[in-house]
Amino acid sequence: MDWRDVTVYVNGDEYTKTIPVQMTLAEFLRDELFLTGTKIGCNEGECGACTVILDGVAVNSCLVLAVHADGKNVLTIEGVSEGELHPLQQAFLDAGAVQCGFCTPGMIMTAKALLDRDPAPSREVIRKEIEGNLCRCTGYNRIIDAVEKAALMLQKR
Amino acid sequence: MLPAFKLLEPNTIEEACRIALDTDGMFLAGATDIFVAMHGGALFPETLISLAKIDALRDIRKTDQGIFIGALTPHRYFEFNQVMKTRYTAIHEGCAQVGSPQIRNRGTIGGNLCNGAPSADSAGPLLVFDAVCVIVGAAYERTLPLREFYLGPKKTALRKGELLKSIYLPEPVSRSASRYIKFTRRNAMDLALLGVSAYLALDDSGGIADARLALTTAGPTPIRAGEAERRLIGHKPCDSLFSEAAAIAENESLPRTSWRSSKEFRLKLVKSLTEKALREAFERI
Ligand SMILES: Cc1cc2nc3c(=O)[nH]c(=O)nc-3n(C[C@H](O)[C@H](O)[C@H](O)COP(=O)(O)OP(=O)(O)OC[C@H]3O[C@@H](n4cnc5c(N)ncnc54)[C@H](O)[C@@H]3O)c2cc1C
Ligand code: FES
Ligand code: FES
Repeated sequence: MDWRDVTVYVNGDEYTKTIPVQMTLAEFLRDELFLTGTKIGCNEGECGACTVILDGVAVNSCLVLAVHADGKNVLTIEGVSEGELHPLQQAFLDAGAVQCGFCTPGMIMTAKALLDRDPAPSREVIRKEIEGNLCRCTGYNRIIDAVEKAALMLQKR
Repeated sequence: MLPAFKLLEPNTIEEACRIALDTDGMFLAGATDIFVAMHGGALFPETLISLAKIDALRDIRKTDQGIFIGALTPHRYFEFNQVMKTRYTAIHEGCAQVGSPQIRNRGTIGGNLCNGAPSADSAGPLLVFDAVCVIVGAAYERTLPLREFYLGPKKTALRKGELLKSIYLPEPVSRSASRYIKFTRRNAMDLALLGVSAYLALDDSGGIADARLALTTAGPTPIRAGEAERRLIGHKPCDSLFSEAAAIAENESLPRTSWRSSKEFRLKLVKSLTEKALREAFERI
């Protein structure tokens, strides 16, 4: 097997590991760092459960090699709260946007990347932005409500 | 984990081409096609040649006549860039409908073309803008109109040891506009059941000076509907002309039946969507 040393900055912490090149970023986060908030649903870019923010943009961590995160910043669901829950996390709870919760980390990372770029998105923009995140439980409307609520909370800050 | 492979990460285009010439390595760009195929058991490359470290493949350069766009440019660029939205609207519309934001952040324009899928959402729009492929080998560079790039299903004009360096887009003339219509069974995360791209340019008296039509998933490769285009040029734009051209486009297409749709349905779509794309491109001028 082809192995590499990588240093990845995850949620502000530096991690150096020796890993095989075929390891995906999702596997690296879960199996090497034990950050199991990032979920693996399909492993092929369809479900969005594995979404993390890589150098500022949302990506499917199942389609990124861990070695390609070498030297880069990764933000996962474990890194979004700042002491208390992040407004997105709070709004998801308040709006009833969490049922089984499997899609929630990915949804929140996609929503965070959106709000970082566009602090006041319309419902249409939110709906389009979460097109790559599947949810089998909520019917999506409450998730869109939650992202809207979180945007308002963040704007008031 | 993905099936094991050897990863090579050249820093220059020349190095990448030389490796491709000397090995059976496969170029790796955004991985959104390759990893899905590998995960699905359809592809087991021994060596992947990652292009990620080659910054020259990310260059975007404007000239007086047009714009060169590096092959590693992700779909997201075409989704947000103002010039793409206003001057190259169909390309913007195509790329903005690829997969999801996560896929568009990683998936590249070069990968979309080189993968050779007849459904590639950037292909039709690029065809109607007369895009030119800049192809490099270990010690040379050549250009090829995108029209000549597709040789068959999953088959492109790239030879062993060659990679796509950039796409050249000539500047569209002032009284022109374009439209891409992607027909899918649902609104998100679906490949085109059929795609129609239209570009129209008008002369001073309001007649059609130039017309270009491209069809995706209407045959083994993305194609231009040349006869339909010729029917349009030199005439005054109107619904009956668009309808006539659309009927010709239907004759020029060679769709097949797949699990996504029957051939008959695709033919009906070619007719109705070509009419619609022409009308909507015209309304934008
Ligand atoms: C969930 C999901 C949804 C998708 N939805 C769509 C969609 O709606 N529309 C659509 O068109 N596509 C879609 N795709 C397919 C894919 O995302 C696109 O085709 C994308 O543009 C591929 O680019 P890439 O950089 O990821 O290519 P890669 O997977 O890295 O490479 C694809 C192929 O191109 C070759 N290659 C890449 N770059 C070069 C180069 N510069 N020179 C020579 N060869 C090269 C590779 O060797 C490989 O054969 C989807 C994929 C997924 C996983
Ligand atoms: S696990 Fe990555 S998109 Fe489904
Ligand atoms: S809450 Fe169960 S999948 Fe979304």
